[in-house]
Amino acid sequence: MRQAGAYSGILSGGGISGRTGPHLLPLARIKKIMKKSSVDVKMISGEAPLVFSKACELFIEELTKRSWKLTVEGKRRTLHKDDVVSAVATTDVFDFLIGLVDLNENHRAP
Amino acid sequence: MTDVPGSPAGGSYESGGDQSPRSNSNIREQDRFLPIANISRIMKKALPANGKIAKDAKDTVQECVSEFISFVTSEASDKCQKEKRKTINGDDLLWAMATLGFEDYIEPLKAYLSRYREVNRFGDTKGSARGGDGSGKKDTVGSQIVPNAQYTHQGSYTQGMNYLNSHV
Repeated sequence: MRQAGAYSGILSGGGISGRTGPHLLPLARIKKIMKKSSVDVKMISGEAPLVFSKACELFIEELTKRSWKLTVEGKRRTLHKDDVVSAVATTDVFDFLIGLVDLNENHRAP
Repeated sequence: MTDVPGSPAGGSYESGGDQSPRSNSNIREQDRFLPIANISRIMKKALPANGKIAKDAKDTVQECVSEFISFVTSEASDKCQKEKRKTINGDDLLWAMATLGFEDYIEPLKAYLSRYREVNRFGDTKGSARGGDGSGKKDTVGSQIVPNAQYTHQGSYTQGMNYLNSHV
């Protein structure tokens, strides 16, 4: 079994993300979410959660930047949920999120 | 074997997960979401210094990230099923992301992985032990993971990554 040292080593010492902080995203948590995705998910390679730790970082950055654009357009300085919802609605690759953000939101139309 | 709920890699985060006060879900928060503090840190990094983020925006992004993981994993899992493989590996995820419209992520992910392997080879005893038998493959793997076009040749480089599977 992989030991914590292998991961924490690269995450803190590797400087891979360009960040100096100790934590990026917890790999065990990523794995849990992967396992919940489908009953067909049985085994996950050691590298898969690592791929997601970076992919999620890219995803969060993209979603945040697109949302922030809308915040700025609205002449505001605080990014709100409405901005995220609008960013999802206006970006094709985020189509899979529309159900999710609609579900728990009675949001203003973008 | 692959399921390690109390694994050392995640243990330290479990308590941190309680920072987010959404307790109305019937499934444990820590099983569904990545920690809000980590999400928040990555979001802040994407904004100018004077930018602020409301809590409801963080919560929404947190939900979206879990959905993203599920979305990509499901696609990768389908592929594994079709190919009668039991283990989802890094290449399956890259393929799934390229298929689902996230091809922009492939290049940075490839760079991340090759740096991980590089660091792992020197920093981790297991990694360095493995570095011996895997090093020949590493370069090939790095250059072979190319979006879309290359994914038709899945078989060839899926092999190359498999040496890492045994870590789990």
